[in-house]
Amino acid sequence: MAKAASRIICPRCGFEMNHHGDKVVYGVGAPDAEPNPLMIDPLLGGFISEFHTCPNCGHIETRNA
Amino acid sequence: MAATRPLFIPVILGTARMGRMSLHPAQLVAREIGKHAGIETELIDIAQLPLPTNDAGEAIKHPGFSEKMERADALIIVSPEYNHGYSGLLKHVLDSCLKEYIHKAVGIVGVSAGPFGGTRVIENLLPVMRELGLVTIFWDVNFSNVQEAFAADGTLVDQSYIGRIDKFLNELIWMAKTLRHGRDQISLD
Repeated sequence: MAKAASRIICPRCGFEMNHHGDKVVYGVGAPDAEPNPLMIDPLLGGFISEFHTCPNCGHIETRNA
Repeated sequence: MAATRPLFIPVILGTARMGRMSLHPAQLVAREIGKHAGIETELIDIAQLPLPTNDAGEAIKHPGFSEKMERADALIIVSPEYNHGYSGLLKHVLDSCLKEYIHKAVGIVGVSAGPFGGTRVIENLLPVMRELGLVTIFWDVNFSNVQEAFAADGTLVDQSYIGRIDKFLNELIWMAKTLRHGRDQISLD
């Protein structure tokens, strides 16, 4: 299963963000739902969207894994 | 060292119907949570959000609403029960965000003109909350016969609601603190 390992740096305050959640995305049409076909996990049938939160300012980022 | 931010727990008034009776419960809950030290709140009226209806989902994300959802540590949704369900506009608004909700607490206040206090709309909202990544608490507030619970000027007539709201808020605040710690400190990696 594809896994992005590097930590995201908060674009708002520069703190290291915490990766605390994953969601499988199946749909099309949403802003984040334009996966490279290579990113689609054959076991899950979709791609993983990671959720990262900044412990300092609370900013949230997503990253497709 | 991360900064200490106050908890932000907005109240979402989940109906745009004229003459809506849910306004008084929403205002009451917002006043009650505003009494808690270290908690900031705001009443968000979905009738005031200018979302288009010719599209849906994150494509119509409203910057101001998105910013408030990102800042939020928990949500309180005040929803009337219309034909056993929630208003279409509430779902439309909630669907406009996603990442903003993940691993945040939510408590639901049901409102009805009849005796069941919105229990059916709460049950119908629970799977929606789960799919949005919100974490539900096991306390609700149920305003039954809402037209009798408040005077016309919004004054609460039935004071027993205060104690129930207090228990509901204590549970929600506990969950909000716990989930903030998890979002900030506990990694999946």
